[in-house]
Amino acid sequence: MAKVRVDRVSYAYDAEPVLDDVSLSLQPGRFYAVVGPNGAGKSTLLKLLDGYIQPQKGAVYLNDKDLRSYSVAELAREIALIPQSSYYFPFTVEEMVLLGRSPFYSRLGTPSEQDRRIAQASMEVTGIAHLAKRLVSELSGGERQRVTIARAFAQQTEVLLLDEPTTHLDLEHQINTCQLLKERSREGVTVVAVLHDLNLAASFCDYIFVLDAGRLREEGPPGEVFTPELIAQVFKVTVPSLRHPVTGRPIITP
Amino acid sequence: MSRAVRRCGGAFLLLFLAAVVATTLGSVRINLGHVLGILVSRLPGLGKLVEPTWPLAHEMIVLRVRLPRVLLALVVGGGLSVAGVLFQGSLRNPLADPYIIGVSSGASLGAAVGLLLVIPRGWVGHGFLPLFAFAGAVLATLAVARLGQRRGRLEPTGLLLAGVAVGAFLTALVSLLMVLRIENLQDVYLWLMGSLSGRTWGHLSMAVPYVAVGLVLALFLAKDLNVYLLGEEAAHSLGIDVQRVQRLVLITGALMAAACVAVSGVIGFVGLMVPHALRLIVGAEHRRLVFHSLWAGALFLLVADTLARTVFAPLEVPVGIVTAFVGGPFFIYLLKRGSDFYG
Repeated sequence: MAKVRVDRVSYAYDAEPVLDDVSLSLQPGRFYAVVGPNGAGKSTLLKLLDGYIQPQKGAVYLNDKDLRSYSVAELAREIALIPQSSYYFPFTVEEMVLLGRSPFYSRLGTPSEQDRRIAQASMEVTGIAHLAKRLVSELSGGERQRVTIARAFAQQTEVLLLDEPTTHLDLEHQINTCQLLKERSREGVTVVAVLHDLNLAASFCDYIFVLDAGRLREEGPPGEVFTPELIAQVFKVTVPSLRHPVTGRPIITP
Repeated sequence: MSRAVRRCGGAFLLLFLAAVVATTLGSVRINLGHVLGILVSRLPGLGKLVEPTWPLAHEMIVLRVRLPRVLLALVVGGGLSVAGVLFQGSLRNPLADPYIIGVSSGASLGAAVGLLLVIPRGWVGHGFLPLFAFAGAVLATLAVARLGQRRGRLEPTGLLLAGVAVGAFLTALVSLLMVLRIENLQDVYLWLMGSLSGRTWGHLSMAVPYVAVGLVLALFLAKDLNVYLLGEEAAHSLGIDVQRVQRLVLITGALMAAACVAVSGVIGFVGLMVPHALRLIVGAEHRRLVFHSLWAGALFLLVADTLARTVFAPLEVPVGIVTAFVGGPFFIYLLKRGSDFYG
């Protein structure tokens, strides 16, 4: 059974169509990349998957139930989202990661022992446990991104959505981030990341969705999707057909 | 829990002591024992225990003049600070203050209309003025909230822009009124600078309910505000109904600020500086931030107002001048000391 199913979804901001009749399905335990040129509708797709916006046509199903039938609070226990931009107010790292547990305790309550244990475990997995008492506002970009990922991990959802999680990171942190996400998917989580870097998508993801001008242009494993023909048509760039000598995955470079 | 109780107790004790000391100060010095005696003599049940050894005039000064003013300083200072926390949080902008979405300009226009056009001269000071100011503040806030929506959603940028635009428009109207009615200029001018001079129990009873209810709501919304600071999409994905929280927070903050402005005029800087300074010291967690801003704001305005009425006695300076004079340098010190938290 598909974890998430997008069924003939269309979405327009005012009269400007952004997504047009898109259908796709997501399985548990896989790491998906959504790629495409600027303005292809990638972020919009992610917002629809998160229930942040509702499709004007079609529907998104989570566990075969229309996303609209979930309350915001229920969704927070099923789907975690790391948006493109984050704000960093002077929370400590620990406080910030604990916010990932906020869907699990009440308004006037405080995090339980179990919540703290889960937050601690998330910080360890992402390698930021030693920063627990530091202020996020004082951390570097790479450390902040790991805090944000730890927060999403702490939510312990079965679906994890990320909008360009590697954009402002150096090479080491880009690779660390993707590695973390891949490991997460191996634990059974459905991971969907919007990625601009096609090589990261090709190296780490199991399955690629290519969006172009609001339509789903192509989908499949990276080796089948990233052909020179598709790159030329969608990204308007001519590339040779190259493969990684060890992994055999495509390499996209002019 | 016991730590929370101890903290509340500590803050209460501090404010109580500050209030008693402030009550002794003024053109007539009243000794500490007398102030305490006068207070105890008014407590139900305990009143018989103290022998009134103080002059009746002192009792009048304490009960009719100083005490309501001291308490009002605490309430307005605490109220403006907590409102500042709410606005800075809900607009995700550390430079927001309680007046930013039209409260002060609306209140000013309300007060100016009241003073210059409606309330007869002899009636000024009968409690009508706060009603005009309050109505003006609420109407202006509603206008800003209406104009600041984008696609039916309240968003920080839209609200800030609408706040600036409406503020400029209303301030122009106030200036126009002042030019046209130049004979009453001083009343309006003094009101605009913000003062607690001559305030009565009536003013206090008008402000207290709003500040009290606002405080309870602020604590109730603290967890949502923490999550909201992460940004709208992140907050949504953490189970926050962003638009509902935004609305509740803005209404709460606006009513608190409107009630404070209505009774005290436009006292600047408290609602901007106190929450900002406290965030640098205790962090962004809102339950902590609301609590510390409450007592620190109350104490700050009490000290400022006490200075305002004693330093140049018998002349009194508007308290807004003192808050800016003391607050400005302190604020700069904090900013220089701490790192940039908002990068």
